[in-house]
Order: sequence, then structure tokens, then C-alpha cells
Amino acid sequence: MVFSSLLFLFLFLPAVLLLYYCSPWRIKNLILFLASLVFYAWGEPVYIVIMLISTVTDFIFGLLLSNSKRSPVWRKTIVVSSVIVNLGLLSYFKYADFLINNVNELLGTQIPLTELALPIGISFYTFQSMSYIIDVYRGTAKAQRNWIDFGTFVALFPQLVAGPIVQYNTIAEQLRKRSVSIEMFAEGVRRFIIGLAKKVLLANNIGLLWDTISSSDAGSLPVLTAWLGIIAFAFQIYFDFSGYSDMAIGLGLMFGFRFNENFNKPYTAQSITDFWRRWHISLSSWFRDYVYIPLGGNRRGLGIQLRNILIVWLLTGIWHGASWNFLLWGLYFGVILIFEKWWGLKLLGQSPRWVRHVYALILILIGWVLFAFDELPKVGHYLQAMVGFTGQPLWDSNTMYFTYTNAILLVVLIIASVSRKKLSTTNNNEGKSSLLNVAWCGILFFLSVSYLVDATFNPFLYFRF
Amino acid sequence: MKQKADRILVGGFVSILFLMSLAFFLMPKERFSELENRTLQATPQLTWDNLISKTFADQAESFVTDHFPFRADWVWTKSTMEQLRLQQENNGIFRGKDGYLFEKFAEPDYAKLQQYVEAVKQFADSHPDASMTFMLAPTSIGMYPERLPWKAPNYSEAKVNDFIADHLKDGLSFMDGFRFLSPHASEQIYYKTDHHWTTLGAYYAYIAYAEKMGWEPMSQEEFQITNVSESFLGSYHTRSQFSGLTPDTIQTYIPKHPVQTEMYIADTDKTFSNLYDDSFLEKKDQYSYFLGGVHALMTLKSPLDPQAVTTEKLLVVKDSYAHSFLPFLTQHVPEIHVIDIRYYNGSISDYMAQNGIKDVLMLFNTATFVDNGEILKIDD
Repeated sequence: MVFSSLLFLFLFLPAVLLLYYCSPWRIKNLILFLASLVFYAWGEPVYIVIMLISTVTDFIFGLLLSNSKRSPVWRKTIVVSSVIVNLGLLSYFKYADFLINNVNELLGTQIPLTELALPIGISFYTFQSMSYIIDVYRGTAKAQRNWIDFGTFVALFPQLVAGPIVQYNTIAEQLRKRSVSIEMFAEGVRRFIIGLAKKVLLANNIGLLWDTISSSDAGSLPVLTAWLGIIAFAFQIYFDFSGYSDMAIGLGLMFGFRFNENFNKPYTAQSITDFWRRWHISLSSWFRDYVYIPLGGNRRGLGIQLRNILIVWLLTGIWHGASWNFLLWGLYFGVILIFEKWWGLKLLGQSPRWVRHVYALILILIGWVLFAFDELPKVGHYLQAMVGFTGQPLWDSNTMYFTYTNAILLVVLIIASVSRKKLSTTNNNEGKSSLLNVAWCGILFFLSVSYLVDATFNPFLYFRF
Repeated sequence: MKQKADRILVGGFVSILFLMSLAFFLMPKERFSELENRTLQATPQLTWDNLISKTFADQAESFVTDHFPFRADWVWTKSTMEQLRLQQENNGIFRGKDGYLFEKFAEPDYAKLQQYVEAVKQFADSHPDASMTFMLAPTSIGMYPERLPWKAPNYSEAKVNDFIADHLKDGLSFMDGFRFLSPHASEQIYYKTDHHWTTLGAYYAYIAYAEKMGWEPMSQEEFQITNVSESFLGSYHTRSQFSGLTPDTIQTYIPKHPVQTEMYIADTDKTFSNLYDDSFLEKKDQYSYFLGGVHALMTLKSPLDPQAVTTEKLLVVKDSYAHSFLPFLTQHVPEIHVIDIRYYNGSISDYMAQNGIKDVLMLFNTATFVDNGEILKIDD
């Protein structure tokens, strides 16, 4: 199930809210756990077994770790086993075919592909489970003894399929005890509606422009159309993903959970270092806390730090998908970050604000080209179109059509990218505008539903007949 | 104030969720959607197999969206919103000038098109004794590119027709719709809200075809022209849901000296004495008024004076542009066989041999022809 569907909004959500708020406290987590299983099984009726395997093993590993009398070697073995189970599942489903393909290509072998579909959310829940085991190992969290609470942590439907990746130590207390006030629920509703509108009204619509431009032959694209296209993609991916995070955070609030923020106006970044503090924060912090720092971070000399940065960014890249362009995308940012660390930020510090901003945006957009095409030759062709190596004019009549028919949307997208505060968080101290805010939420919700209904509008036509 | 607003927000949100949910369960479920012209999803069956194969989830999803309360109004809201934000298209339909809607026409895949053309050519070459005509009508976007929204992307249908003509003209006689329709472009030869030509457009096509066949075409004065519907909002409207459109008018041309044509539909084994099905005028898809919609195979038999007949039998391989065109031919050919190649799966050559057919008309519009691989069956 996805949040941006009528079935979720008008059947699943009201049903879960009703059950949750009508049941006594001691079974509330059970309700959430069961609801989450239904939510997951809806989209993955078979693969739910894999999620349960991952959950049960980590629950048991957690219990084993909680016995502090055991030797350090024993404890280490447990952590390593958990990491092997989780990464094993992830690798088998996500990376096996990529590996086989490349081995076949390299050695000329004929190893058959597994051709498995990627289970929904596996990249998120395996990372979440691992964070739990490592936290318990490090002693920053206590082992969870209640299997329902643990299941709720892993499977919690608001963040199950697309994050934010919740680290166990940030939520352990809330699993045991939490309450929801009217203010908190209202904040949740606001966040949810904002997220829904970002996804349905903004991301989906600008995505149509990207679909049109990216599906045409890159060799025929005028320079400005190519730029317009990748800008459309940048908006689409940001509003899609951050919209989903907003919905997750909003739903969390409705059930009394406070998840950490996942985005912070990333396109206002002044450097790539800054961008990655603002983009998919829960993933970058995960890699920082569980990979970069354990590897020694920046404390063991320049060489080691360089190595660590590259490892983290190759992993970040490949986490996004099993293909070369994602690896390259990660490496691209790794190299830029290294450059910024040693010289770049100093240079940038002396330049005016707008220069820093333009510098960051251009690098981000080039990054999106790497991200958007999973075939490397296409990446090359598109980049050539952007710099005008294809011999096409600067713009043509299509460029003008695309621009004026999306002008209003683009203006809204720009405003929404820079003013997250106004659009999406509560106006805590602005009492006078809050009724206005309610009306605004109402309009956004109404429009989002109309776009959702239209998306399923599927006339059978005597078309082409 | 803040607290009050929060209460309103929470109360409003939760009650909307529950009210819509309630409305969904209580409201009667339609079986068929006139607006979308299709059967709606029935209540999904909860069985173990359905559950494991995800069929249940998919059907439940469609069930909710198909029967969502006030569905048409939501769709209308979206369409209106899109126009307010200067978007000139909705679901692939442009809102053009003078009340015309157009379906996007993009550059065709020429490699595929070449295959289609080859198939038609093969078909013609393997029947050297038959006289074959291929008529290719542009759709409205091909005829009126100047009526598109400002700078809207569009590929020239004339170019496509020229390409097809170049490849076909040796094997058979090719009739380019632009030739006989362009002189009448200022008349109502296309519906504004539907993808078909009007009966007037079909009439001009008939004139051109009759001249080509050596028949004496009937003048407009020889017909009783009647407006049978003035409320036709066609397929372009169905898809785009643009509001504030003027409905189209559907006309019939009934000869003042009519012949009693018998229409036999092979699909259903039924015979009708009327080429028009009035019941469709009450529905959304009014174009099906002509010949009662799409059939894989049918025959039209008319008792004509044998002295005046030059073509005994004619096979028409066609898309739905033929539907308003065929009634004109019943004045000249006593036996017309009509095959819709998208639905007919037998061999057309065998059919011709069995029925002793020597004259063939292939009639398509450019948009159907470039986008329909079924034409490859023609040479089976």
C-alpha cells in the first residue's frame, strides 16, 4: 500500500485510527504491529516472510546481546551474524543480479540470473534492524524484551517502505510510553496533508514534464530543454521523497511518535557538504554513525579519512540501486566532498552567497543526471545536450511550450523549496493565522484527492478503433 | 485561537476520512461507467489464491477507485485546476482554438511503420487480380495544426501520409485524405470533441472514392440531412474532461430514394434492417450510432438495380472511420463485406477467395494506422 492512494486514505487509515484510539494502552502497539503487517502484506503478500525473518532474528540476537556476562568475542560474533543476515538478505535480493550480470560480462560465463523482484522497503528495514543490534552492542540502547514492541519498531507502517530510517535509540522510549495531544495530532494532520500535496500536486505533475523530456532522444534536445528537464527531475525527486517523509512523520505524530526530520530545504544549500546535511538526513546519519565513525572517521590520519569517505559514498551510491550509475553517483559526491573538505570550502567561503548557491545547484543537477539514467551512455548523451555538444539550438518552440505551460507550477515549486518552514511546520506562535492555515490544509487535501481520483480515471475509449 | 484551530483541523480531517469511507460503503455501486465507457471493477473475492497472488489487493484498489463517491466531480476539479495553471493539455488531449480538442500526435516509429506498410504491400502484391485502394484520412490535428495551443509540440500527419504514399503507390491506388479533405477544411468535417470525422467529412471521402471507382456520386441535395444529436461529447472529451465545451452535432444522410439495406453482424449472428442504432444516442459514446459500433465482421446487402451496378462485391478493411462512411457505399455496391482487422483473426485472403471478392478498400486514419500492429495480420 502507498499513502497516496484512496484505499489507504479512506479505508485503511480511518480503520487503524478507530482501532488504535478505541483500544486500551496495553494493546496499542499490537494494533500498530498488526496494522503494519496488513499494510506490508497488501503490497508483498509473499515477501512479508523475509521481513519477519529479519525481525525475528534481530529480536533474538538482541536478547542474546543483552546478557552482559558473555565474553566480548561472543558479543562480537552476534553483531557480525546480525549484519551478515541483514546484508545477506539485502544483497541477495538487491545486488545478486547486478553481480551476476557483471561477472557474466567480465568472464563470459552464463550464470543464470535470479530475476527476483526487490521486496518493498527492504533497504529501509534491514538498515533499521542493524541499527538496533549495533546500538544494543554499543550499549547506547537496551535490548527490547517485548516482541510486540520490537515488531512495531521494525514494521511501523508510517516509515516502513520509504523511511525515514529510524534509529532505535531515538524511538526506544516512545515505544514504551507515549501520548498524543490535540496539538500533536493536529501537527500530524498538517504534516501529512503537506506531504500528500507535495507528492500528488507537485512531484507527480512536474514528473510529467521530466517524462516527456527524458523520453525524447537526447541528441535532439536544445540546451535549455535539457536543463529544464533535469530541473524538473530535481523537483520531482525532492518533492516525491520529502513528501513521503512528511507523510510518514505526520502519520507518526498521529500515533504519538516523533521521528527525526529527513530533509531541510536541500536546494538552499551553499555547498555539496551543506547539501548532504540537508538531503535524506536519516540515511547520511546512518552511514556516519554505523560506517564512517566505526572505520575511524577523521581521527586516524588523512589517508584513512580519504578511504573512509570514499567507502561511505560508494555505499551510499549503491544503496540507491544496483547499477553502475548509482555507484558513479556516490563516487561523484565522494570526490566533491573530499575536494570541498580540503580546498573547496575555503575557496567558496571567499565568494559571494549567490556564487556558492549556483555552484552547489549546478553540481547537484549534474548529479541528478547520473542518478536518473541507469544506462551510462544515456547519462553521457544527456550531459552533452546540457552543454550543447549536440549542435542543437539554445531553445526551440517545445522549450517555450514546456516553460509557459509549467510556469505557474515551477514558481510554486521554487517557493516551496525555499520556504519549508512556512509550508510544512506548525505556526506555533502565529495564532492569528492558524484558522487560515486550517483552510489552506483543507484546500490542499481537497485538491490532492481530486488529482488522486483523476490518476485512476481510466476511460475505455473507442480510441484508435 | 491556536487550540481552536487545531481542534477544527483534527475534527475536520478525521470526520472527512470517516464520512467518505461511510459514503463509499453506503452509496449504490454502478456496474458500468457511462463517462469512462467501461465496466467497473466488481467486488473482489477474498480467497487464498487471490490473496497470495496479490489479485485481491489489486482488485480492491480498483474497486475503491472505480466506485469512489462523486468520482466525476473530482475528475472535473482536477481538469479545471490544470487549466487554471495554464496547462494546455489533460491526459494527452490538447485544448485547441475554436472549441476543438486534439489528441497529441508524436513522431511515429518509422521502423515499425515501414513494417506495416510492407505488410499492406505484400497483401496487394499477392492479389494481382484484385483492385485495391488504400484510403488514409488525417485526424483533426493533422488538418488543423494552426488551431493547437501556442507552440504545442506536434508532428505533421501530412509527412506521415507522404511517407506511406511513397511506399505504397506502386502496388495499389493510394488516396491521401489531405487531397480530398483540405479543400473543405473550413467546413465541419471533424467533430470538435471526438476523434472521428463528421458525416460531412465522410461524405467528401465518399465523393472522392466514387469518382475513383467510376460511380456517379450523389449530390447533397439527393439526401435528407438530419441532425440526430446535438449533445455529442466524444472521446476527446471523455479523456480530457475539459469543461465549458460546445457539444457536437451528429448528422445522418438518408437518401431521398432509400434502399433497404440488410446489415448482418457475423460476431453475434444477428441481422438488422437499419444501419443506425438509436440507443447509442442516449449514451456517452454516441458515435456507435453508426452501424452499432465495432464488429469484427459484417456484411451489408442492398437490393440495387443490377443494370446500374458496376461493382458487385466490395471488401472494406477498416477502422471506425468507416462507420459513417459505409452507408454511402450501400447506394452503389449490393454486397459489402466489412472486416475490422483488430478483431478479425481469420485469413483475409481466404475470405476473399471464399466470397469471390475482387475489390478491396482499406480505410484507416493516420493515428490508428501508425499505432496499430494488428495491421500486420493483413497478409496472414
